[in-house]
Amino acid sequence: MKVFLILFFFTFTLYAASTPVSKYLNTTQQKIAIEDKEENSLEDEFDDEFEEEDEVSVNDPFSGYNRTMTYFNDIVYVNVLIPTSTGYSKVVPVEVRQGISNMFSNLVFPVRFINNVLQLKFDRALEETGRFLVNSTVGLLGFFDPAKSQLEWEAHNEDFGQTLGFYGVGPGPHIVLPFLGPSNIRDTVSIIPDSMLNPTSEYFYDLPMNSTNGLLLNSIYYVNKSSLHLGEYESIKKDAIDFYPFMRDLYEQNRISEIKE
Amino acid sequence: MRRSPVQSVKQSVFTIMSLLLLSSIQVSAIQESNIATHMKSNIDKTTDLLQNKMIEAHEKNSKIFELFDPVFDYNSMSKIALGKNWKKLSSQQRIDFKNAFTLKLKQSYIDKLQLYTDEKVIVNKTEKLKRTRIKLHTVLIGKEQDYKIVYKFHRTKINSEWLIYDVEMIGVSIMKTYRKQFSEFLSSNTFDDLIKELNKNKINN
Repeated sequence: MKVFLILFFFTFTLYAASTPVSKYLNTTQQKIAIEDKEENSLEDEFDDEFEEEDEVSVNDPFSGYNRTMTYFNDIVYVNVLIPTSTGYSKVVPVEVRQGISNMFSNLVFPVRFINNVLQLKFDRALEETGRFLVNSTVGLLGFFDPAKSQLEWEAHNEDFGQTLGFYGVGPGPHIVLPFLGPSNIRDTVSIIPDSMLNPTSEYFYDLPMNSTNGLLLNSIYYVNKSSLHLGEYESIKKDAIDFYPFMRDLYEQNRISEIKE
Repeated sequence: MRRSPVQSVKQSVFTIMSLLLLSSIQVSAIQESNIATHMKSNIDKTTDLLQNKMIEAHEKNSKIFELFDPVFDYNSMSKIALGKNWKKLSSQQRIDFKNAFTLKLKQSYIDKLQLYTDEKVIVNKTEKLKRTRIKLHTVLIGKEQDYKIVYKFHRTKINSEWLIYDVEMIGVSIMKTYRKQFSEFLSSNTFDDLIKELNKNKINN
C-alpha cells in the first residue's frame, strides 16, 4: 500500500511541478484589481466577492476517479469509521478522548514547528516550542493543555502544503485520497515531508516501531478524532446538491484561507 | 376645498406618529457601532436556549429564528446564491426561489445547531473592509479544534442598517458554496429542477 502511495505521489509531483505557477499569480492579481474597483452598481454590489463562483468549468482532470473515491470513502466513513467512533465515544469519556487528541497533537509538534519556521513565522514557532515544553511536562506528556488554558499559548497548525502555498505554489488539480478524503496535488505531495517529521509515522522517530503498530496508532488517532466530530459529516452531506464537487469546494476554500493566515 | 383645523391637526399628528415609528425602526436596527454587542447578545441567548432542556426543540428553533431573522438579509443572500442566473428569472420565480432557499438555509442552520452541546463562543472584534462591509470574527471552541466563524455584514441601502449577507466557517463561505453549486446545477438543469431539488431536501429532513 505504502509503496503504491509513494509511487503515486511522485508521478504527480512531476505533474504539479509542470503546472504553471504564473497562472495562479494572475488570478490573485485579478482579484486585487477587482477589489480595488470602486463600489459597484446597485445590482452587482456583491459580484466582486462572488463572481468567481459562476465559473462552471473547474480544472479537475481526475474528476471521474475523484467521484469514485468520494463514494468509496463515504461507504468507509458511514459503515466503518462513524459506527466505530460512535461506539468508542460511548465507552470512553469525552475528557479522556480530548486528552488523547491533545497527546497526538503534542507529538506532531515538529511538523508545526518546522513549517512555521519555513514560513518565517518565528513568533509562532516560538510559541509552539513553549507549548511543547509545557504540555510535555506539566501537561503529562501532552494529555492536558495547560499552555493554552493557563498561558493562552495557542497552537498554530501549519503543514508543508501551507508552506508551499505560502511561497506561491498553486494547489494543482484536486485529488481525493483513499480514506483520507479531499486533497490536491500540492497537499498530497506534502504528506511525505510532513510524515517524516511526524513521530506517529515510521519515517523519523520510529515511535511505532513497525508498520502494524503504525497502522494501529493511526487507527486510534482517526477513530478518536472522529469521535470528537460526530454528526458533522452527515450534516455537511445534507448541504450538498452534488456531494463530490461540494466537498472539493469546501476543501479548496478552507486551504486557501489556511494559507492566508 | 380648505382643510378644517381639526383635519390639519390630525394630519400633523399622523405625520409625527409615522416619523416616530420610522425612527424607532431605525433605533432597533443594527448600526455599525453595535454589531458586536448585538450579535454577542444574540449568540448568548442562542447558546442558553440550546442548553435549556426544559424547552422543546421545535420551540427552541422558532425562538432562535426570532433572534436571527431580523439580522439575516435573506433577500441579498438569495441574489448572491444565484449570481448571473438571478437576472434571468421572472419576479414570481425570484419569490419562489427566495422562499425555497431561505427554508433550506434555515434547515441547514438548525441541523448545525443540533450538534451544539456546551461549547463556548467568543465574539471578537469587527473588521471594516469597506464603507459598506464589515466582518465580525467569532470563535467556537470545539472539543478537538476551534472553529473560526465570520459573520459578514453589509449596509443596506434602504435604511442603512447592517445585515448579514454571508457566513464563513473555517474559511468556507456558505454563499460561495451555494453559488457554485447552483451555477453548476443550472448549467445542466432548469430552474424548476432547482426548486424541486431545494424542496426535496426539505421533505427528507
